[in-house]
Amino acid sequence: MNTPRTEKALDPKRFEVSWATLWFDRFMGIAIRFGGIGVIVAVFGIFFFIGKEVVPLFKSAKVEAAGQVSKVVLPRILGVDEWGEMPFFYDGGTNVTFVDVEKGTRTELEIPGLEGVEITSLSHDAVHQRISVGTSDGRVGSFLVGYAREFNDDGTPPKVVPSVTAEPWFTLEKGAGPVTEVSYGDSGAGRVIAVKRGVGENSTVAILRLAMKRGLVGAGKLSLVDEIDVTKDLGAEATILRASENGAMVLIACSNGEVDYFLADSGGVSKRQTFKPFDGVAPRQINYLFGGVSVIMTGSDGQQEQWSLFRQDGASERLFGEVQIFPALGEGRVHFAASQRNRSFLTGSGRNLSIRHSTSGATRWEGTLDIDPVSVALDAKGMHFFAAAADGSTLRYKVDDHHPDAGWHAFFGKVWYEGGSQPVFHWQSTGGSDDFEPKLSLMPLIFGSLKGTLYALLFSIPVALLAAVFSAAFLPLEVKRIVKPVMEIMSSLPSVVLGFLAGLWLAPILENRVPSVMLIVICVPLCALLVGYGWCRLPIAIRNRFEGGREWLVVIPFIALAGFAAWHLGPVIERMLFIYKDPATGKEIADFRLWWPQFSGTSFEQRNSMVLGFIMGFAVIPVIFTISEDALSNVPKSLTAAASALGANRWQVVWTVMLPVASSGIFSALMIGFGRAVGETMIMVMATGNTPVMEWNIFNGLRSLSANIAVELPEAPVGSTHYRTLFLGAVVLFGMTFVMNTIAEVLRQRLRERNKIV
Amino acid sequence: MKISSLYLAGAMFAALPMNAEESHLDPALPEYKAVSGVSGNLSSIGSDTLNNLMTLWAEGFKKAYPNVNVQIEGKGTSTAPPALIEGTAQIGPMSRPMKAEEIDAFEKKFGYKPTEVNVAIDALAVFGHKDNPLEGITMKQVDAIFSSTRKKGGDEITEWGQLGLDAWKGRAISLFGRNSASGTYGFFQEHALSKGDFKTSVKEQPGSSAVVQGVGADIYALGYSGIGYKTSGVRALPLAGDDGKFHEPTYDNALSGDYPLARFLLVYVNKKPGQPLDKLTLEFLTFVLSKEGQMIVEKDGYYPMPAELAAEVVESLKK
Repeated sequence: MNTPRTEKALDPKRFEVSWATLWFDRFMGIAIRFGGIGVIVAVFGIFFFIGKEVVPLFKSAKVEAAGQVSKVVLPRILGVDEWGEMPFFYDGGTNVTFVDVEKGTRTELEIPGLEGVEITSLSHDAVHQRISVGTSDGRVGSFLVGYAREFNDDGTPPKVVPSVTAEPWFTLEKGAGPVTEVSYGDSGAGRVIAVKRGVGENSTVAILRLAMKRGLVGAGKLSLVDEIDVTKDLGAEATILRASENGAMVLIACSNGEVDYFLADSGGVSKRQTFKPFDGVAPRQINYLFGGVSVIMTGSDGQQEQWSLFRQDGASERLFGEVQIFPALGEGRVHFAASQRNRSFLTGSGRNLSIRHSTSGATRWEGTLDIDPVSVALDAKGMHFFAAAADGSTLRYKVDDHHPDAGWHAFFGKVWYEGGSQPVFHWQSTGGSDDFEPKLSLMPLIFGSLKGTLYALLFSIPVALLAAVFSAAFLPLEVKRIVKPVMEIMSSLPSVVLGFLAGLWLAPILENRVPSVMLIVICVPLCALLVGYGWCRLPIAIRNRFEGGREWLVVIPFIALAGFAAWHLGPVIERMLFIYKDPATGKEIADFRLWWPQFSGTSFEQRNSMVLGFIMGFAVIPVIFTISEDALSNVPKSLTAAASALGANRWQVVWTVMLPVASSGIFSALMIGFGRAVGETMIMVMATGNTPVMEWNIFNGLRSLSANIAVELPEAPVGSTHYRTLFLGAVVLFGMTFVMNTIAEVLRQRLRERNKIV
Repeated sequence: MKISSLYLAGAMFAALPMNAEESHLDPALPEYKAVSGVSGNLSSIGSDTLNNLMTLWAEGFKKAYPNVNVQIEGKGTSTAPPALIEGTAQIGPMSRPMKAEEIDAFEKKFGYKPTEVNVAIDALAVFGHKDNPLEGITMKQVDAIFSSTRKKGGDEITEWGQLGLDAWKGRAISLFGRNSASGTYGFFQEHALSKGDFKTSVKEQPGSSAVVQGVGADIYALGYSGIGYKTSGVRALPLAGDDGKFHEPTYDNALSGDYPLARFLLVYVNKKPGQPLDKLTLEFLTFVLSKEGQMIVEKDGYYPMPAELAAEVVESLKK
């Protein structure tokens, strides 16, 4: 029977591994090690790069001495060109003196029309480089100091060429005596000049309005509109006059400690407010910050406060209110120069100077000078400042302050922005004009990311988990073989397509159908439960017609029917329940979009979190479904079979065996779903309206960290505060997912320990 | 058959004269003459408002110079200065003037300021849905609708009843705007909101066409964008400035300053002082400011430049 075995000589080397395998093994070992280290290096490289971009945000300013100018003239007015190369000095005479800091050369330029005029008052507007003058015979005028850069063909550094241009003179009609105070405000189209004549009780104050008519083409024409005597509006003798650089208002401080606010607009000049900043003690200085909306007041003891125009307690008019108190300055002469790029200002008393920033309230730099300055000036770019002593000797300092707007408080704290009624979290990073105050709070963005994630998960977790349980425990293998790949294909849908669908197709449909959607959310699960319950009550003979796991064939028509009915019943429900009542006329309109704001006090937007949650579900469901389905399917057959053998029904097997064993896997699935939702970008960009609001309201939009980076990065100049803040947003996003993932991993390990069976 | 095609042609012609009638093309604009020796790559990064215009100009320019390759990207005005500074573009179309900070950054790199060229006139329009019955809207109302700071001093407006539309009483105004990279956003903020802040409820769209599309799909919406993006789905509302009278966004109203949101569309280039612009860029801008180039401006829905201004600009670029 047995065929005799043929004896074959065994190869003695048969247990040895071939050289090719060994070589391949070694090669792969190195390759994998190399790849692994490469990944780690790449990740750290990314951290390094992001860190490098973010860290400078938190550096404070640096100031160093950079040159000096020897005695010039008494610097009643000190100004400087935008490059910080050629300051000018003016003492009220007929000439302006310019000095080149590098070369030491002086240039005297004569001011046209000042011959034989006795100047009795002076003021300087550093934004327009305008020096306004008042004369003993009751005239006011101004001249502009201009700088241009001349380039040479031979490649030598460009040279700064100064110029002086006179502006029209105006003869005052109100009041008498010499002009003792003058202040000029200029917005281009509308201008004001505030003047005081005489001293003591008989002094008068008038405000002149000038108009500049300008079309798109051609030069404008300046004309005097009117001169209004405001003396009777003041409580006492005026001590300080300040016209804002945007020509919209005049602040007048009086000797009794009151400050009066006059608004100048196309309608005329009118007094809007009287306030007492330092409990009735007259302020020593009032200075506008860049933009002309806020003023810094310095009191007699060196207290410094910021006052801004805003609407107080829901009032309809914008009035001045105290916004912020800065650390007090010391004794001595008070200095002030406002930056022309942001809300920082150079201030100080005596020899002590500091650079402060009004948005963040921070002191960016503090120091003591070698001279006792009488006048300070900051160049327009904020790169240098000059301090001139009484004898005319002037020092130049180089300022290195790249990110004055940044800081912990600006990013994460409530900030009282100019014009706002209270401190808020707000994101509005760029504006169209130079004097825009950037609002860089990351809080609305963090909130937006979390809100979007919440609504996405609220929809997708129940759907995905139930689907996974059903597919793993109940569905016959043939069906599962189709369902699972289909779900996985769903995750490969590009999110930009989903976002596009959400924003332009789904949002307008759902906008009119909110009651239908709500009804579907209630009816469809309810219907499934009811049908299930009814199915159990059916005789076994009928139930047996469907093989185990195919009951869904029965449920689906019912669910479809319920969904269809709910969709069409929505408007009926709307007519019954969601009735908006016009508060004025009492007219009733059945419209959810009107009813919701009236009912909840929050807004209703077409592109809202409901649409987002629904569409994001398409991105998140496949991820959660696939991973948790795998976890459930991988529960050892021996366990489920044992449970069944012991008499557990299908549901009991799922509930008592499969879910606990697979819980750590399911947990991971949820966390990966969370990670996907938090970092999702294109759907957020296209479906949410990108409104940085901070409300949990499901019917309005949001602005997420990731969408914000996508939308704003192309416009941010490399290295700017805005650019680095966007990177900070990336760090925050990473931090959020990192913390969440770490917590999740710890929890997952615990779950796994607890449910370890095999 | 013949009749119907004739009829069709007639209908097409009937549509054309409407444009011809409203043509504001300055007859003094010079015709463009192609010169020899122009070739190479021209890259433009910047305004979305100018994106269509740039594309049409590039097409026209390439007809004259088939060897020239023009690339255009239009994600928003604020993308132009970084591109000019990094040298990734020779042309930076912008729908607002450069901010001092942007000029600073440019100057830091090159030592001189960028050169600004006016290329077209735009009347920034406030769009409503095509069935919007509103007669017009004052600038104070625009500020009260779009701004949270309301610097023009009006009371907050959130629903249509407050604009006097009783039929739409209680209907919230749905607001569409541009993202902050946009020059239109900046210009609107500066001139319509008096430098105030936008409400957070303004839905920021990545492009002008998205704004117009959004407004066209939402009957209770208001949005703003350049007039060139006007479609049949929206209506440009007349605006009232200081004089209190409503003015349509037309060429004449824009030029006279009666329409309060008129502006120049600009192109910035990197021109070294005292040296003429490089030949390719110079020829492109000469083309843009020629009769052909300004005809394209009209075709795209914006308004052409007066010949005098155009000639001045071209002259200054050659120096």
